[in-house]
Amino acid sequence: MITVEKIIREERFTGPSRSAPGLDREISALSFPAQSQGMVGLSFGEQHFIQGGIAQDLRSDGRKRLTYRPISIETGVIPQANGSARVKLGATDVIASVKAELGKPSPFQPDKGKVSIYVDCSPTAAPVFEGRGGDELSAELSTALQRCLLGGKSGTGAGIDLSSLSIVEGKICWDLYIDGLVVSSDGNLLDALGAAIKAALSNTGIPKVQVAASAPSDGQPEVDISDEEFLQFDTSGVPVIVTLTKVGRHYIVDATSEEESQMSSAISVSVNRQGRICGLTKRGGAGLDPSVILDMVSVTKHVSEQLMNKLDSEISAAEACEEES
Amino acid sequence: MAGKSGATPTTYSPSPTTQNKKRPPIFNDVDWVRSDARGFQQCRPAFLRTGAVNAASGSAYAEFGNTKVIVSVFGPRESKKAMMYSDVGRLNCNVSYTTFATPVRGQGSDNKEFSSILHKALEGAIILDSFPKTTVDVFALVLESGGSDLPVVISCASLALADAGIMMYDLVASVSVSCLGKNLVIDPISEEERYQDGSVMISCMPSRNEVTQLTVTGEWSTPKIHEAMELCLDACSKLGKIMRSCLKEATSALQE
Repeated sequence: MITVEKIIREERFTGPSRSAPGLDREISALSFPAQSQGMVGLSFGEQHFIQGGIAQDLRSDGRKRLTYRPISIETGVIPQANGSARVKLGATDVIASVKAELGKPSPFQPDKGKVSIYVDCSPTAAPVFEGRGGDELSAELSTALQRCLLGGKSGTGAGIDLSSLSIVEGKICWDLYIDGLVVSSDGNLLDALGAAIKAALSNTGIPKVQVAASAPSDGQPEVDISDEEFLQFDTSGVPVIVTLTKVGRHYIVDATSEEESQMSSAISVSVNRQGRICGLTKRGGAGLDPSVILDMVSVTKHVSEQLMNKLDSEISAAEACEEES
Repeated sequence: MAGKSGATPTTYSPSPTTQNKKRPPIFNDVDWVRSDARGFQQCRPAFLRTGAVNAASGSAYAEFGNTKVIVSVFGPRESKKAMMYSDVGRLNCNVSYTTFATPVRGQGSDNKEFSSILHKALEGAIILDSFPKTTVDVFALVLESGGSDLPVVISCASLALADAGIMMYDLVASVSVSCLGKNLVIDPISEEERYQDGSVMISCMPSRNEVTQLTVTGEWSTPKIHEAMELCLDACSKLGKIMRSCLKEATSALQE
């Protein structure tokens, strides 16, 4: 049985509070040795160097706490897909593809199409992803992306307008399959995948569909898919995802995997163009004070504006580049 | 049977009304009454008991309205041989649904991510250093899904961990809030969850005032999210008190 006395004794044993300023660094180094040994393998000196750099707003690659690594976007990389994009964020490299297929809408939402998001972590990125090793991370990334992009259960706040995918209500709709692939992993996969999906969606053309007028009322109507005419997908509502990683008492954006190994916790927020929050996930086991979370949310909102503008210009540059070639 | 054609059908098929297609307009109004006559900011009465399973090191049963959950904790026991040496303990969580938990049979398997959310919600509260080289298994079973399943599972699991004598910084209480139109509704039932525009789920350690897990879906403005978080945290601290008193009752019953 856990009793009140026991809890108090534990508190005394571990110090006043794990989130007490100053204590953070020692505790995080103590409580996550397994994690830092696992993927990255840093010595104590290196760990202190990273943590100290973050505390002084000069990270080991010369960035400030709220600066992203250079982003490069390439669109139309997969000819078989309806839309695709490759995003490089420093050494992190991801590909997203969008495929549209005709399907039947779910009986719960007859006037809407369906979107499914899957992420695959390839063993080419890291040996730990081999076999079932990548499954856990894949599932985590997939759910986080679904939460960030698909909105609530009733479909409000979704970055992708599901009703635009409907063709004949209750009969036919487009099923959008969004697949993410991690080619090379150096931290901040979620933000990179979010950006790649945004770019892939703006690259997506959905074929125009002609519905035969003389369709029987109860049978499946006949459709004719055009090979030439495509509808541009509306991506104005697709949010960007910003992950804020807490190391010590400070938060950083776009953490590399070395920096991620030193994190106590991280939150990923997706923010749309109107500055509204469309989804939030917390990662990492350590608890956070509610006021810290709210502070982190307001920082992500600020960062997301810059990222949104950066992505927009990169995407349009990539589109222009693709048209030229 | 042939003579009675057109009369009552011999096979029963569930009425199509169970698959409501449109959201009832009632949820769009500013004022409506919840189907169980609760206020918007009123949680369902919680029934909590520890020691539901004899074979487990610790277990708990929780009933929040129609949501019924049982959680058993096994261990700490030796980690599997294949696992690498670890000087902190491991936590293994699994959430499963009975096939009859949902109105449509077997629908509960849609919730695959629950296990990892449960893991993340509990991880920060358990003093893993206290059982090196070993694993603690937390198995949760949703007997009946009546809405807010995951928050109930998380609260019940932390109670079961306490019952098993696993050292924790604090109990983890979890509460969710749904946004329906302009209203924030705490501790939603299945029907409300189905039509929700967004949801916030918080699990926190009430006496440390630390949030261990937080998920948000749907579109939220900053003031609204502040309001929802306040609501959740307030409810969590109250739920924490109920959980604590449940544990105290169980120990005092043992001593008598």
